[in-house]
Amino acid sequence: MAELDLWWLTPLILALLIGLICPATGSLLITQRRILLANLMAHSVLPGLILALAFELDPTIGGLISGLLGALLAERLNQRFKGREEGAMNTVLAGFTALGVLMVPLLQARVDLETLLFGDLLAANEADLIRTAVATVALLVLLSLSYSDLVFLGVDPDGAVAAKRPVSRIRFTAIVITALVVISAITAVGIVLVIALLCAPVLVHVDRCLSLRGLMLRSAGTGLLLCGGGMMLAVAADLPPGPLIGVLCVGLLLFKRP
Amino acid sequence: MTEPHSSIKGHLAARDLSYSYGPKSTLERVDLELQPGTLTALVGPNGAGKSTLLHLLHGRLQPSGGTFECCGSVGLMPQRAAIDWTFPITVRDMVRLGQTKSHGTTTAETLLERVGMGEMRGRRLNQLSGGQQQRVLLARALMQQSDVLLLDEPCSAIDPPSREHLLGVMRQQASSGQTLLVSSHDWGSALDSYDRVVVLDRRVLAAGSPAEVRDQLNDMACLMGSHCCG
Repeated sequence: MAELDLWWLTPLILALLIGLICPATGSLLITQRRILLANLMAHSVLPGLILALAFELDPTIGGLISGLLGALLAERLNQRFKGREEGAMNTVLAGFTALGVLMVPLLQARVDLETLLFGDLLAANEADLIRTAVATVALLVLLSLSYSDLVFLGVDPDGAVAAKRPVSRIRFTAIVITALVVISAITAVGIVLVIALLCAPVLVHVDRCLSLRGLMLRSAGTGLLLCGGGMMLAVAADLPPGPLIGVLCVGLLLFKRP
Repeated sequence: MTEPHSSIKGHLAARDLSYSYGPKSTLERVDLELQPGTLTALVGPNGAGKSTLLHLLHGRLQPSGGTFECCGSVGLMPQRAAIDWTFPITVRDMVRLGQTKSHGTTTAETLLERVGMGEMRGRRLNQLSGGQQQRVLLARALMQQSDVLLLDEPCSAIDPPSREHLLGVMRQQASSGQTLLVSSHDWGSALDSYDRVVVLDRRVLAAGSPAEVRDQLNDMACLMGSHCCG
């Protein structure tokens, strides 16, 4: 009996996992009003990724450090440019992206920039699955330990501080988990497109759900269909899966029932 | 904040309380005393420092001068603008957020019935009108079961029937022994609903019963102009 050609299995599993955890994380970010920070971190991981790949180190560590540095720099600049935070954060986003691009010729790194920016789902391997599984476990641990704090912080941020909820710890943990999720999603959809997967499935449900938990579950379900379906459609049409998923995200918003 | 000389729960006393946002002085040497079981109105024009005073008494801000003491716990009902009304949460769960670890037997459903929002307990926050939002915030504040309750403009921009209902609930709370300080833009005969009135414009201009405050202000030049006269 001929052996089944299962080359598509790892990419499909990765697509489904990413389809679950990106919208779940996006639910937290959108309800906490931190989505701009998430987009910034998605781009800030680039220099760290390239540095790690150039020296044959684990890209997760490099990307995580770089992403956190970008977030830290953005927070500092936000204090300096109060009332103009969007300008400061977008400048940091562009700057880190540019730094990453510069590092390729400077380090003579053998890195496919297009893959990092737009993803290459069909090249997914076991290391990508493990990375995504770690991000998933981290997210589940945060939710199981701090769900009520996340709700309080989202509804009444000042009240959460006054009620002595561990606001700083939760915000820092959420930033770390965002970085892990973004790094996991890079193989699937790339740095530029991951923000669509964080946002679109959430925006479709955010006005209707009765709880944060419900929002995360519905968004994850939509993301699952989006990524799984997007991947299979891409294989059938011989198109790059990451950009196709990005376009499907926009289509999702356009066809959302008012 | 320190424990007061009085050991009666719900007694709050502030002496020479001051606060500045950078170089700008917001509160100057404010003296304030609240007795248990009283409903006190804190009135003044926009920018008088009412919210700042409430946040100081709740511990959200640290005073730049003076002291205050309170026997018991202090709860706060914030202004509507402090809440993200688009967050995915039901009215019932929003009220439950006010639950503290030392919470008693009062349930969110009971409090929602008291404020006239029992039928709306399963609704999302973004389906509420302004008056309904204020009622939910009051229910959440009552859920804290604090000895002193500070309310930041609970009757702001709501219709008169809702205002009367909320004042009725606050009066019941005071009658049961809770101390309430209500920041308000009420003026004239509307102040008769309160036991005491404190008029604030960075410093205390007048304090006492509603009649006493009106007499005090009639004897002074009105510093607050058209915001409060009439």
